[in-house]
Amino acid sequence: MTIYIKGMGNISPQRTWGSDDLLSSPLSYAGDKLSCVEPDYASFIDAKQIRRMSRVIKMGIASAAMAMKEASVPMPDGIITATGYGCLEDTGVFLSKMVGNREEALNPTPFIQSTHNTIGSQIALLLQCQAYNQTYTHNAFSFENALLDAMLQLSEAPRRSLLAGGIDEITGQSHEIQSRFGIFRKQSNNSLQLFSERSGTFHGEGSAFFVLSGTPGENDIASVNALTSVYKPSYAELTEAVRNFLSQAGVTLTDVDLVLSGKSGDALSDGHINRVCGDLFTTTPVGAFKHLCGEYPVASAFGCWLAARMLKAQRVPEIVTPQYEGQQLKNILLINQYFGTHYSLILLKAC
Amino acid sequence: MEQLMGNLKRQIIEALNLKHLKPEDIGDDQPLFVEGLGLDSIDALELIVLLQQHYSIKIENPQEGPKIFRSVKTIAEYITAHKPA
Repeated sequence: MTIYIKGMGNISPQRTWGSDDLLSSPLSYAGDKLSCVEPDYASFIDAKQIRRMSRVIKMGIASAAMAMKEASVPMPDGIITATGYGCLEDTGVFLSKMVGNREEALNPTPFIQSTHNTIGSQIALLLQCQAYNQTYTHNAFSFENALLDAMLQLSEAPRRSLLAGGIDEITGQSHEIQSRFGIFRKQSNNSLQLFSERSGTFHGEGSAFFVLSGTPGENDIASVNALTSVYKPSYAELTEAVRNFLSQAGVTLTDVDLVLSGKSGDALSDGHINRVCGDLFTTTPVGAFKHLCGEYPVASAFGCWLAARMLKAQRVPEIVTPQYEGQQLKNILLINQYFGTHYSLILLKAC
Repeated sequence: MEQLMGNLKRQIIEALNLKHLKPEDIGDDQPLFVEGLGLDSIDALELIVLLQQHYSIKIENPQEGPKIFRSVKTIAEYITAHKPA
């Protein structure tokens, strides 16, 4: 089933919204995390409604609005949201107050807004959209499952327009807790040099929404032709999965013009993905994107956005890979991995 | 009473995240809900928590809510009458 991307909105640690050229001036971060470049939310959300919303909700609403504006779709036929962590800020506030106030006199707002489906619900409330509304919270397969849901629904009703996206935020508490696992890089001074070292990654965040339809149109950005996910594969299993995936999609290894790798900079996590890229795609340029957005459960949404933008622009920014030499860009294979356990393959094509 | 109302206005702005308002923007008798500040039922719950946290006052009878939370002045009067010694 092929679905068509009609519009996209992306709030990320890079300038991925507004009028900037595609990653023409990539932003570098010091430390161990990348935080989003955020728009003025007052231009997207009414002042009375914005006061209760945490950052992740505002990011979701604004990026969804950007996608709908680009697609010229004022009301979607369904909203599908993906988030690995959910609304962490409100969860943190709620739990802290529960402890601090000894389980008495708890504020209702952070409790109400701490649930994972708050983002999709708030988008629907603002739009007064009473159509299908689903949130996927499957760790690093959340975005893939949201996209799969969209593909299945559009295979039954191709004329529909669905709003689907992935969103996760970093909060002080979540970063502190995750840092205890030693998964983030120790005080790097340049996130764009993520791949120059081999231990740890950068913590990331972002919100990318897509308006999708099963019917092609003149202004399509790109199409998503196939996707699959693989949990904890061996190297051989991942290699086989890539071969089967492309074969079932009717694409050969050499048809792939660019591989967009979700390597994270950590040698332990990146082992399989680097080997697969090196062994299967010997003559195909391999780009990367997590030095731009960091690592988080729905980072593949950023990858999907980047692949689609590159297909539309017919240009691969040097920061993605210096190997690409300007030939026609038809097929991009996005291979993502999350801490060496969750792998996904998404095939995007130019329209 | 004046000082209490000033404190209440600051606490309401903070608790309800009314960043676009200053204490002096809220009139003592101005209705807080619907046509006044435009607060809603979730805000009413937040105000109940505010009274409990800052003034150790629990509203036992929810039927009294609309009367107590009509304006900053009615809240201040309720606090004055019910504040624990």
